[in-house]
Amino acid sequence: MEKKLSEMKYEEEGIVKKIRGDLKDRIAGMGIREGKEIKMMTKQPIKGPVVVAVDRANTSIGVGLADKITVEVGK
Amino acid sequence: MNKVLLMGQANVGKSVLFNHLAGAGATVSNYPGTTVDFDKGHMMLQGKKVDVIDVPGTFSLQPKDRAEEVAVKMLEKEKGATVVCVIDSSKVERGLYLALELIEKGHSVIIDLNMADVAENANIKVDTERLEDILGVPVVTTVAIRGEGLKELVSRMGEAMPAGIESITKRVGGKGGTSTHS
Amino acid sequence: MEQALTVDQRWDLVDKITKETVEVGAYEPTLRDAIAGVTVRPLTGIPFAIAVLYGFWTFFGEFAGLFTDGFFVRIFGTHWIPWLAERLAGLPDWAFVILVGDRAVFAEEFLGDSCFAAGGVLTTGLFMPFGIVLWAVLALFLVLAILEDTGYLPRLAVLLDTVMHKIGLHGFAIVPTLISLGCNVPGVTACRPLETRKQRFMMIALLGVFVPCGAQIGMMEELVPGLIGWVFLTLAVGYLGFGWVLNKILPGESPEILMDVPPYQAPQWSNILRKTWMRTQHFLLVAVPFVLLGCAIVMALYTTGAMDAIAGGLEGFLATVFGVPASATPSLVVGFLRKDLAIGLLPIETMTNYQVFKSVILLTIYFPCLATFAMLLRELNWKEILGTLGFLVAMIFVFGGILNLIGMAGGW
Repeated sequence: MEKKLSEMKYEEEGIVKKIRGDLKDRIAGMGIREGKEIKMMTKQPIKGPVVVAVDRANTSIGVGLADKITVEVGK
Repeated sequence: MNKVLLMGQANVGKSVLFNHLAGAGATVSNYPGTTVDFDKGHMMLQGKKVDVIDVPGTFSLQPKDRAEEVAVKMLEKEKGATVVCVIDSSKVERGLYLALELIEKGHSVIIDLNMADVAENANIKVDTERLEDILGVPVVTTVAIRGEGLKELVSRMGEAMPAGIESITKRVGGKGGTSTHS
Repeated sequence: MEQALTVDQRWDLVDKITKETVEVGAYEPTLRDAIAGVTVRPLTGIPFAIAVLYGFWTFFGEFAGLFTDGFFVRIFGTHWIPWLAERLAGLPDWAFVILVGDRAVFAEEFLGDSCFAAGGVLTTGLFMPFGIVLWAVLALFLVLAILEDTGYLPRLAVLLDTVMHKIGLHGFAIVPTLISLGCNVPGVTACRPLETRKQRFMMIALLGVFVPCGAQIGMMEELVPGLIGWVFLTLAVGYLGFGWVLNKILPGESPEILMDVPPYQAPQWSNILRKTWMRTQHFLLVAVPFVLLGCAIVMALYTTGAMDAIAGGLEGFLATVFGVPASATPSLVVGFLRKDLAIGLLPIETMTNYQVFKSVILLTIYFPCLATFAMLLRELNWKEILGTLGFLVAMIFVFGGILNLIGMAGGW
């Protein structure tokens, strides 16, 4: 099932499917890209940023930016 | 070769490395045309005194903020410099992303896999010899906070050289390819 | 020799290379990972953040108080100042006033605290930076270096981003803000990782106007400890409220947070001590000469009678707009040199508590110290500098005026 990164639940894991717009370039150096396993580490309340882990590197992403990332979750 | 640039992503131990290399003589300087400070010092390389510069951390060469912009500008201005690409050994993938960008731009690169202790604790092993064969530039391992591997890093800086992306693409995957184990 | 790859091509190549060279074994989460999780999750992270900041604040107060009250007040008050006054008693009046201070302080019947009352360059001028402020900034620099080096600050930024982004600021803004509490000069530099010009300008303007530096905080802690809470609350309201306003009226974008969150690291003491020492050294080099110069200017203005003239001229204006007595004039005169000195010169005994509170707020908002202003010149363009100064003047009138009205309504 595909969903937005911003919709992933706490500790949920998935594979990055698509990163839209210029975010793809901006986030590339931080190791986040299509095809990578990604895990939701924390979500802040009331539309605060999320923290995700890719290859053990943690990155904090604002929820609006997280909307631009599609993730495949579940088997 | 008259300058050594330390480049790397944030939190890879670049400043600690700089302190070791430049020692006590380091000063904070102001880059011409910008208002951003960087650390500059001297080190002895093959009997010559050369400048060593701690470039602000950048995740890639496509800058996303002012600090990264300066890093890229400094790099562009110092075309002839030896670029030490410092990588966190436990995050090799994203480090290599920056390393490839540097190689693409034609810089003389040497790769420093720093924080080797962190990678070891995390059960990550890097085959540095193979990496060196594929990339065609020197690769050394260091633990900068303990001063380990720095001698090798310095002694091999002279071997830093530009590498062709095409030849890297050829060498990779091709089970040995043109590799010559030394 | 440029052979640019696209982002995808580059990642493909990285994948191929790492497949051959990197072997990733099983990973056991460590205690460090557990702590990292606990401190960034809202339910546990927010109480943790409050505990950390409160702990550091307590340490700061105790540390600074230990040196100042326990040691330097006695050294200066009972030894250095009386000894110096006796030694230099033979100087001509004008020189005595500038170097040592008001002769009345050394008369038999004087019972006050000569550390502040004397006012001379070699008495109060040395006591303030070395007796009070040095220990406050040292404690703050140490605490901040620990927060920086352990990797805690990015997590604090993540926690705060929820609130900060609502008013158009970046969670990362907490980093320059905390650093500014030590000294505004590196605080301004710390704004560089903000992504857009608008964000940087907003932050620098807010820092320059609403964030008091360690030297000021040290003086407040010493002179008006009971008011500090109110001062911080008022400044925080201004910082957040006018942050929101600036975000609304300024053109440009305020992008969302996109930030690496590094793993925790055990602090490297050699690095922390080096950093603390370098910043303290910078404080001594930049601050002390200006404090001494400020003392000399104030005493010279006093002894020539010029201070009375200036105070007389400002009296009506200060009283009607801000409700502050003319005796606060010397503070305003040196406020642009050093704000710690300005607070030290406030005639606290002759003012009501509310007047002291108002004056401290006004002095904080007031023109940034010269060192900070020099940083603004480097970091901002002309339009932005004028904008910052305009904002500053507006804030002085807004806060001075509102606080004055509240005071009148409350009859304080």
